[in-house]
Amino acid sequence: MSRTLLTGNVSAAWGARLAGVDYVPAFPITPQTEIIETLAGWIDSGEMAGRLVTLESEHSMITAAGGAATTGVRVFSATSSQGLLYAMEMLYTVAGWRTPFVLVNVSRGLSAPITLESDHNDIMAARDCGFLQIHCASCQEVLDSTLLAYRLAEDTRVRLPVIVNLDGFYLSFTREPVEIPAADAAAGFVGDFDPQNARFRASTPESQAVAVLGGSPYSYFRYETHLASLNGLSVYDEISAEFSATFGRNHPAVEAYRTGDADYLFVMLGSFATKAREAVDRLRDAGWSIGLLRPRLLRPFPEESLRRLLAGRRGVAVIDQNLSMGKGGVLHGELLGALYGHPQAPPVVASFIGGLGGRDISAEEFYEMAQTLRQAADTGRTPPPRLLYTRDELREIRKLQAVAHQEREELHR
Amino acid sequence: MYRIRFHGRGGQGMKTASRILGSAFFLEGFEVQDAPRYGAERRGAPIFAYVRAARAAINERGIISRPDLVVVADDTLVPVPASGVLSGIGARTVLLINTTQNTSAWQQRLNISGPVITLPASAEVEDRADLPYIGATCAGAAARLVGVIARDTLAGAIRTELSALGAGVIDRNLENALQAYDIMQAHSGLVREGSMTSAIKYAHPDWADLPFDTARISAPTVFATANSVEVRTGLWRTLRPVVDYSRCNHCWWVCSTFCPDGAIAVDTDGKPVIDYDHCKGCMICVAQCPPHAIEAVSEEQAQRDTTTGETP
Amino acid sequence: MTGTKASIRRMKDLPSTHLLGTGTPMCAGCGGLQALHEIYDILGEKTVFVNAAGCMTLLSVYPFTPFRGSWLYTAMASSPAGAQGIRDALDILRERGELPAEEDLQVVVLTGDGAAYGMGLSATSGAMERDLDFIYICYDNEGYGNTGQQYSGATPHAAKTATSRGAHGFAGYKKDLFSIWAAHRPAYVGTVIGAEPLDLAHKIETVKQLRGPRMIIALAPCPTGWDYDPGESVNIGRLAVRTGIWPLKEYIDGKVVHTRIPRGRLPVEEYLKTQGRFAHLFAPQRDDALLAELQARVDAYWDGVTS
Repeated sequence: MSRTLLTGNVSAAWGARLAGVDYVPAFPITPQTEIIETLAGWIDSGEMAGRLVTLESEHSMITAAGGAATTGVRVFSATSSQGLLYAMEMLYTVAGWRTPFVLVNVSRGLSAPITLESDHNDIMAARDCGFLQIHCASCQEVLDSTLLAYRLAEDTRVRLPVIVNLDGFYLSFTREPVEIPAADAAAGFVGDFDPQNARFRASTPESQAVAVLGGSPYSYFRYETHLASLNGLSVYDEISAEFSATFGRNHPAVEAYRTGDADYLFVMLGSFATKAREAVDRLRDAGWSIGLLRPRLLRPFPEESLRRLLAGRRGVAVIDQNLSMGKGGVLHGELLGALYGHPQAPPVVASFIGGLGGRDISAEEFYEMAQTLRQAADTGRTPPPRLLYTRDELREIRKLQAVAHQEREELHR
Repeated sequence: MYRIRFHGRGGQGMKTASRILGSAFFLEGFEVQDAPRYGAERRGAPIFAYVRAARAAINERGIISRPDLVVVADDTLVPVPASGVLSGIGARTVLLINTTQNTSAWQQRLNISGPVITLPASAEVEDRADLPYIGATCAGAAARLVGVIARDTLAGAIRTELSALGAGVIDRNLENALQAYDIMQAHSGLVREGSMTSAIKYAHPDWADLPFDTARISAPTVFATANSVEVRTGLWRTLRPVVDYSRCNHCWWVCSTFCPDGAIAVDTDGKPVIDYDHCKGCMICVAQCPPHAIEAVSEEQAQRDTTTGETP
Repeated sequence: MTGTKASIRRMKDLPSTHLLGTGTPMCAGCGGLQALHEIYDILGEKTVFVNAAGCMTLLSVYPFTPFRGSWLYTAMASSPAGAQGIRDALDILRERGELPAEEDLQVVVLTGDGAAYGMGLSATSGAMERDLDFIYICYDNEGYGNTGQQYSGATPHAAKTATSRGAHGFAGYKKDLFSIWAAHRPAYVGTVIGAEPLDLAHKIETVKQLRGPRMIIALAPCPTGWDYDPGESVNIGRLAVRTGIWPLKEYIDGKVVHTRIPRGRLPVEEYLKTQGRFAHLFAPQRDDALLAELQARVDAYWDGVTS
């Protein structure tokens, strides 16, 4: 099989193309726009069947996506950051319709202050909406995950929309060698979309997404959506095994890198986890017993796998590329919830916040986090949450502030 | 704790009743909760409001399931299951009904063991949705039944709650409410505070483990068509339009088209037939009928005539 | 659109059986439901209604629906986008030969004025600019009715609402949604009212035979929000037309044509005095200045009308 250099965005577009999507409601936003431009180009040139329609907002885009999916066609869409938040009402809404489709989110930090670069606060905001979430660490994964996502979404045990997440710039605009599956193999894997009875036809009228009165029916419908999402765990294991057998690439729900004998683990989501992977190798060279866990599924949350993989470790560093204001790292909290009360839970689970707005995490910082973990494990005291931010950076921001405040200070002099 | 429910129709002032009683309790030094229950209720549709009052802080919230007193402003609601008037009524629950019928008739009809008291419907009005000042009247009667609210306190509560409505309206309400308060003298204190749910011996909730159902079943989708007809909106009606076929011109396209609910069908002879299961009693047909062949009659009267075999 | 032969010419020709199911939770005397059931009789069951948050969201409450065709509730802002998704999907299926013509549906957006004049206007504009083949019905009761009649972009000048309770009522003016829509040059824009069922029927028959964006605003007399006796809905609707407050008109083939030019227009106060929301114009004392202003605005409108 030959490999081609593709950006993460074009990989996502290939995923949609190979899944044979019928309909692409779209709205441009950096750093996602390349996805819809690529699809529009293929559709215009006739290389790809399907219809792309640019809506006037992401809110409308997700509404149209849900509307088309409820009518019985295969739908793909893509957004990022502010767009995901603008669509938020409809993310919750269409998930409740139980309509399967795939949305690619290119993660980008949220305003304010507005930025173009990557972090995970956008996708974390969509954590509870009912969409399943697959987080990618490479361009190959973006393509493969898009195919997996259609199988997952359309499975009768799930029937929920799925978000495939990739990091802006670090993946979206970064080319990597990607193996593009043969069209017939991809089509064979994904299969045809069977809308079942969720569709609009003159001879079989139906009223979808109707209102309820009272908490009892509401509880039923909401909890069923939760149960369907939970089913996604075993369904995902099945289809990823089939994917692995078909294409020879393994994408487990949780990537466990050099974890077998490891005393210490990093836990991270997304493309920055490959930096952690590199740090693990260098630390192992230096005699450390350390590994990396990278959940690819965030919803449903692979709680059992994580619990099993974390059992018996001396210390764990959770590096969150997001920040829940007034609480801290979201993944850190979720992991603690999964571990609490289990006899083999690691005594130290430390929280680090890093990579906000695309800020890099250096190799030295990974090494230092490992040192911090070891000290904590030795003393039995979990360190307070730490923002990865250096004195140099603080000095720089002071300089910027001096410039920003200069004129006002001169006026007041 | 006192737990009191007011039942009436949208437009009859049940929220006002609960607020007046709530204020009166509060002025007497009680801790209080009062609230209306909103849903898809419209004018004429059954609604309710409730009041809790206790000497200590109130931790209970939401709908009252075991009331100490149930006040019914509109007796046509009592036999309607959807209105929930009789929900949770026990042997010690006092049922106060605003009605022209007597206590024993109601006791027999409902086959309940608890005390039933009637509030003689003071002003008979054609349209029950316009029952004047009935909210305050109900609150006045309830205030006396609990026996811990002074007459002056009730008056103060009414003045507070109705302050936005102007002196004339307040005076009429005061007059009616105090009259109801006085009528209930013999029953003062009949309503006793209910106890809290015991944690020692209680009915265990029969929790189910929700099974996973596929989206075919568990999506909020209705595969039936036009099954809203199963909802009997005729219960909202306080006035009934009745066609006098001796005067009917058979110009069905007027009444049948204008009926917002499509509740006037046309039979094979071109005769309009009103569907009383669904007619909400808006009276547009009465207003529009060219030969004035449709008459508005009191729903209560119409029902009474129907049960006694008379045609209205 | 010319050459369309209307099958409904007299009141007698109106449908005698009604398609929309009874038992809905709309208020007694709802002018919006009246217009909808008249419209539905003509559009028929080969339709999918795409709804935005408003009173009529409660038409379909699990497990009930009054529709003989299909329905999808979306959200307040984006029902035209829901219609876009459904129409596009139906077209895709048609093109692929997976949807026979007899299985196809008219896609009909149903919103209140809150969505149509405000939150949903961007999505509506987008659907028109994309020349979406759909019908849009706005039932306009001139306020956020389902939440208790707060003022909206559709509220007329001087009307009292839950959020304009001052001595002079609502300070703003009703937005001219007809012209805003017509400026997009859609296939059709029309105003209707349930109290004029023949005019309504003609327009819906016309709309049924057109393609592209077909936009309908139905003035919806609202006993609850406008404060009048429910039995008066049709009388008030007729007065809205006869006083010239609610012009019955259509934009078609690039031209605006009035389908009913009221001869001997009644003074607007004949309409205003029927409703509690305008009671402050008459009591405790007559507000002659405001009444004159309201009359002058209607007069100015009709002075400019030639066809």
